[in-house]
Amino acid sequence: MKIRLNGNEIEVGGGKTLLDICRENGISVPTLCHHASLAPQARCRVCLVEMDGKLVTSCSTKPREGASIITNNEHVMKARRLNMELMVPQPSCRREDDLEVCGIYEEVGMKGARFANIKEYKPDLGAAVIRDNNKCINCGRCVQVCGEIQGVHAIDFASRAHNEHVTPYFEKNLASVACIRCGQCILNCPVGAISERSHIDEVLSALADKDRHVVAQVAPSIRAALGELFGMPTGTLVTGKTVSALRRCGFARVFDVDLGADITIMEEASELLRRLENDGVLPMITTCCPGWILMMEFFYHDLIGNMSTCRSPHEMLGMLIKTYYAKKAGIDPKKITVVSIMPCTAKKFESTRPELGSGVDFVLTTRELGRLVKMKKIDFASLPDEEFDPALGISTGAGVIFGATGGVMEAALRTAHFLATGKELGRLEMAEIRGMDGIKEGKIVLNGKEIRFACAHGGANMRKLVERKDDYHFIEMMACPGGCIGGGGQPIYRDPDTLRKRTEALYFADRASKLRRSHENPVVKQIYKEMLGKPLSEKAEELLHTHYVKRDRF
Amino acid sequence: MEALEKARSMGPEAVLELLGRKGLEGRGGAAFPTAKKWRASRDAPSDERFVVCNADEGEPGTFKDKFILRHNAETVVEGLLLAAYVVGAKRCFIYLRGEYDYLRPRLQEQADSVLARAGMDGVTIEIVRGAGAYICGEATALLQSIQGFRGNAMQKPPNPTTCGLWGRPTVINNVETLACAAQAVLFDDWDANLRLFSISGNVKNPGVYEFPLGVKMSTIMDVARPARRLKAMSFGCFGGIMPVDEGMAITPEAICMEKCHHGAYSIILMDETVNVVDISYSIAKFYCYESCGKCTPCREGTVRMLNLLKKVREGRGTKKDLQTLQELAAHIQETSLCGLGQTCGNHVLTSIEHFPGDYEYYLKKGKK
Amino acid sequence: MAGEKKEGRLLLNILHEAQEKHGYLSEHVLKQIAVEQDIPIARLYGVVKFYTMFHTEPQGKYVIEICGSPSCVLSGGTRLEKFLEGELGVKVGGTTKDGMFSLYKTSCIGCCDEAPAMLVNGEPHTKLTVERLKALLKKLDGRGAGRKAKEASRA
Repeated sequence: MKIRLNGNEIEVGGGKTLLDICRENGISVPTLCHHASLAPQARCRVCLVEMDGKLVTSCSTKPREGASIITNNEHVMKARRLNMELMVPQPSCRREDDLEVCGIYEEVGMKGARFANIKEYKPDLGAAVIRDNNKCINCGRCVQVCGEIQGVHAIDFASRAHNEHVTPYFEKNLASVACIRCGQCILNCPVGAISERSHIDEVLSALADKDRHVVAQVAPSIRAALGELFGMPTGTLVTGKTVSALRRCGFARVFDVDLGADITIMEEASELLRRLENDGVLPMITTCCPGWILMMEFFYHDLIGNMSTCRSPHEMLGMLIKTYYAKKAGIDPKKITVVSIMPCTAKKFESTRPELGSGVDFVLTTRELGRLVKMKKIDFASLPDEEFDPALGISTGAGVIFGATGGVMEAALRTAHFLATGKELGRLEMAEIRGMDGIKEGKIVLNGKEIRFACAHGGANMRKLVERKDDYHFIEMMACPGGCIGGGGQPIYRDPDTLRKRTEALYFADRASKLRRSHENPVVKQIYKEMLGKPLSEKAEELLHTHYVKRDRF
Repeated sequence: MEALEKARSMGPEAVLELLGRKGLEGRGGAAFPTAKKWRASRDAPSDERFVVCNADEGEPGTFKDKFILRHNAETVVEGLLLAAYVVGAKRCFIYLRGEYDYLRPRLQEQADSVLARAGMDGVTIEIVRGAGAYICGEATALLQSIQGFRGNAMQKPPNPTTCGLWGRPTVINNVETLACAAQAVLFDDWDANLRLFSISGNVKNPGVYEFPLGVKMSTIMDVARPARRLKAMSFGCFGGIMPVDEGMAITPEAICMEKCHHGAYSIILMDETVNVVDISYSIAKFYCYESCGKCTPCREGTVRMLNLLKKVREGRGTKKDLQTLQELAAHIQETSLCGLGQTCGNHVLTSIEHFPGDYEYYLKKGKK
Repeated sequence: MAGEKKEGRLLLNILHEAQEKHGYLSEHVLKQIAVEQDIPIARLYGVVKFYTMFHTEPQGKYVIEICGSPSCVLSGGTRLEKFLEGELGVKVGGTTKDGMFSLYKTSCIGCCDEAPAMLVNGEPHTKLTVERLKALLKKLDGRGAGRKAKEASRA
């Protein structure tokens, strides 16, 4: 149909919203409550445009034939501005926070604050994810994401009118309810009312303590995303710069969690084969995702036997640092502080699990690392590329793809095939479990037996896969859409292609690796030879495995 | 059962034609042509349709539906079944506001009785109990409420008529509309112009009165009997406040001329002892309390308007505050998501325009 | 939502019945309903808190909802509201310490032609005056005047 857009007659396809039409024609329209994957709520009323003289929300309005749309006159600008004034009485935008809402202030030309802030809420602290309703603009994205995309629904709106606020049930704190700490709410909050509980202060204290040997271990997903915080294009692989930045922050050693991932593969593939051979509980479900573990502990108690007993890669490596590395380096393990740099907020909870002992002391998210680097006035983009510290720094491509959904499965199958048959799996890259489909599945043949596997990412998809679990032998569960590269601790992004680009960076790193199979990693072989013996040995069970608990879903 | 029997002998198409010809419009305040609504639901392709009687009468000053439910519930139920018949619905609902719950036992009896005599296979009537939310009288919020959600208003389109309860076409009609539908089918001389007025306020004889549209204000005053000279009238909370003119004929056009809206013809009368600002303040409190909270302008704007009116009444208001009040009122009405937000500023805009002296009183008060 | 259909009882009615049975909608009661109806507890709580007639705390034996809308205001309702607050020793929104009365201010209850009006446990009391209120309180509570001196709000 034909419509007029800011005076120009254009042809548009049917069924498109005014917002889509504007964006396709290069016209910027501010939005806050809009979410690319969810139905429009039309709550914030900032995306207003004029259609035939009347103000409408472009996110939810489709044009009639011959409609005249104006996006840039005083009528529209004033209305957007007044809604922003009402929504955020006292804007405080610091450049380093890079909040979505700050860009909107500028876009609508907000100057001052005419209205006083009347919100008086007690902040929700204590969990890995913390909330401050005094900053909330009631956009509802956190509620939508937690409910519809993550299938957890730990929070919702309560009360009415200007008392409407987001809360867990009965005004409890997130720490007391069935929240899986995935942090997807953080990624979707445009005003930073939700964020992770910060451990920067604790890490700075440790770094300043001359008595302590502070080491960092870097997750696969960091290298695919940290650059975004320093203006680099999405998907730039910044492994080398991450290592040198950490060194300049004062870390004595910088290790690669990918090595932990390789060890996880050795243990997990062996565990799978043992279950297959001995009629063990199937399907076996991966456990490197603490968000998934919490979901199981809250909602699916009967799956406790299906869970792999393997710890997650950083927890495995943390234990090895405090045993194998400490011995090799001649350092008292009690003086070692292990800081994991993670794309994940749930790992902050994980590191406090009593079942895991003291392998990992603190977890910093990618965002926190970005803040730390900026605090130290380090010019990230100009850093030289450096290598991880040896001894615990050689990893394979298999380990690096852990950050992508389907990555754990792929890496595990490469090794499982070798361990079971003595031969290498013919194809290294398994396209059927790569990509952004919510649930992916495939099958291989191990010693004449068909092994069916599936991967789910995003809470709602995990729940769906649970319903069909008995169709499979092996299941990978990632709580965050996209897998860890889309984790709750990652840089907040607006480019809808971000997850795909970060994933590409990891697959590129895999292809560029000389070693692409965990069982080929010489450091892995050495650690087993010198300390662990073989996968699932008594020593391995003690250091690298764990158990889970049942939690009340309320 | 006569109306229903007659309808079934005519067939749905003929009923629609009759209701259209007789000009039956919705009596909930929006005055949408009833036949047009029923036809749209009937024609929308679906495996299932629903009809809902909106008995969430909540507009302050309105009590005509309560009157009908008390004295003529069977006609309402008959009208509901009539709608179900024409539209092709099996499951019918009566959404009865929580504040009228004391009517429910008798209403349930009467609904059961009419249903038993109606001979409509597979048709059920369920009474849904409201729980104290004015916004649930708004069509989209009502449907959210029935489906077990918070009573948030929802963006239109989709329109409930074609996509309502559980995504199916749903007819929602006011109590009076359904009663009128039954009467319009049954009585050849049914007059669409006769309306039930809810008259209350500073009068000795408040009550429900049936008048034809075009009734003179003086006639209303004759029956309602104000004790003192009348100064102002408000159409519920939403319609706006205008001066009382004895000679005025109550028609939609005449009310529109004063920048007001007639709604369901609920008239709250104020006499010369009343400062309109005080009433505006109580109306602002109403909206501040009843806003569902979903959209920014209404959620945040209603409380700001209330605070400004509070400031004015306490003698701390300035001319600038009045300007801000008007700016806010106009803005909220222009950018809100639903009818509540779109009308919640009428009382401010009309009272400032028609009764500047009342505001002056408070502005001056502070200066003493 | 489109495509699904609700079978069984509607949530509003379920909540009303539960509140009538238990006196109020406690955490325990809501958890039961959440499990039975397969509704996330956060969402159920959000629904309950939306509506003014649902209470998540114990209520007085008599729940008074006095109307504060224009017609009742014009008939002197505000004065009666203040009277009740004084008589019961409780601010609007609160429950008396002895658990006898909860006092709320409500929007129009549709008794505008018999203003000022209020609901007591859902039953309308209209054409209110201070005298009629005194008599009603005495009838309900047996103690009448003099409560104010002894009671303090639990609000």
